[in-house]
Amino acid sequence: MNYSDLATRLSQLGERLAKQSDKLEGQNLGRSAAKLASQLARFEEQLESHLASRKSGELLLESLLRSPASKRHLTIGLLKRGVREICAKRLKSADLSGAKREFIELIHATRKQDLAVEFLKEAFADAAHVESGGKDKALLQREFVHLGQLLEDDFAVQIAARTITELRRVATVNGIRFTDKTNRQRLTTLIRRYAQRAALNVAAARVPSPN
Amino acid sequence: MSSKVLAFINFKGGVGKTATVVNIGATLAKLHEKKVLIVDLDPQCNSSLWLMRPDRWREHVARGRRSTFQIFDDALQAKARFNFEEALVKGVVTWTGVADLPRLHLLPAAVELLRVEERIHEFRSPVIYQILDAALGTQFKQYDYVLLDCPPNLYSTTKAAIFSADSCVVPYVPDYLSLSGFQVLAEQVAEMREKFAAYLPGRRKPNIGALIVSHYRQTGNVFRLAVNELELSMAALLEEGVLSAHAVLLHPYIRHCVRVAESTSEHLPVILYAPGSIGAQDYADLTQQFVDLFEGKK
Repeated sequence: MNYSDLATRLSQLGERLAKQSDKLEGQNLGRSAAKLASQLARFEEQLESHLASRKSGELLLESLLRSPASKRHLTIGLLKRGVREICAKRLKSADLSGAKREFIELIHATRKQDLAVEFLKEAFADAAHVESGGKDKALLQREFVHLGQLLEDDFAVQIAARTITELRRVATVNGIRFTDKTNRQRLTTLIRRYAQRAALNVAAARVPSPN
Repeated sequence: MSSKVLAFINFKGGVGKTATVVNIGATLAKLHEKKVLIVDLDPQCNSSLWLMRPDRWREHVARGRRSTFQIFDDALQAKARFNFEEALVKGVVTWTGVADLPRLHLLPAAVELLRVEERIHEFRSPVIYQILDAALGTQFKQYDYVLLDCPPNLYSTTKAAIFSADSCVVPYVPDYLSLSGFQVLAEQVAEMREKFAAYLPGRRKPNIGALIVSHYRQTGNVFRLAVNELELSMAALLEEGVLSAHAVLLHPYIRHCVRVAESTSEHLPVILYAPGSIGAQDYADLTQQFVDLFEGKK
């Protein structure tokens, strides 16, 4: 059932009741009608409160603060910044759940739910944004494939011309995991192995197109 | 309303097409308040069965009438029995018995779609490709996003989806078999773009707009290296002109999450079933990037 189905059903029931009301009598039907009326009153109250909180932005703020994005990106620092920017006030709480409560109270008190929603949406969007790595990354990836295409002697010459820091950058950008203890020789072996694999997988092993 | 019609394609199975469609669709509706239509074009009916309880789905699509099968059957038999409003499923029914996510709509699939591929060859192109666009193009306009969940092949139904789409999204599992498949897929889409060009005057030609990595695990080198090889392959295909410069590998990569698998049995998207899970968090961030990309925000 969805709310549109419920609306249709209630309208149909309303129409039927209005048409037949002078024929309706008896205790059983009366008890059932009283029960329905009290449930309807409860539902109306919840509906009103839902629509009011939706209009004020409260519902959206609440759902944002409970969202998966909030679980990952919400920090005390972000809440502090939010309160400072939106309400020109300071948060006192030192833990996240306390800060969250204080944030909600301050926002409600100042009726700035809409601004808070905008602030959090933007903050979560920024936090989800990942830099592409830019031209530097593309160059290091190209270099990696090039290294993979070289014969052993040429590869050794190319590697000898690079510092350990440069080799580490090539490895990092191209997904090779290593530790601070990984020495030059081991790093060279890893780069050789995976660069050759990448060169083969990306170009040589290309499945011919059917056409 | 300027709707974005996106075909989720990959002729390799098990790459997370349906999981991506269902969970991005639900996150768009829930967190971004977008009006979303999911069109299930796969005879396996996976997105339909993810979002609908099996008994309700069976009753709804009985004889294929209120499903995407009817669109193709009508085209094959020159009839007009498909009724969009009747076929549409609005929202997702939760444990309360009442539908949540009112902005998420589904056009379910029926297993009868299996028969479509056998019969559709009676048609000559370009009519085949235009079936979906002709039947649903007008309806698509009332949505912010239309997500077409395609079967794991590049046959006629998928081609019809690509024809009606503004862009293609490729869900991808980081391993070599997916890599080799992706290269062929990119070439096939580029070929279709050429073939369709004459029939799409004034419209954007279908292109691969985004790749989404799923089933990712952060242990060891394995997946990082495989994703790097995908990026290298994308760069090579871009240089060859096979892939458009707009194609983006979206972040974050969707990690393996048991709560996502579990949510299929509950017939709920993970954002409703387990909003605190890493699956829901990954899809929330991914959907943000998705919106930024397709709405040109960043």
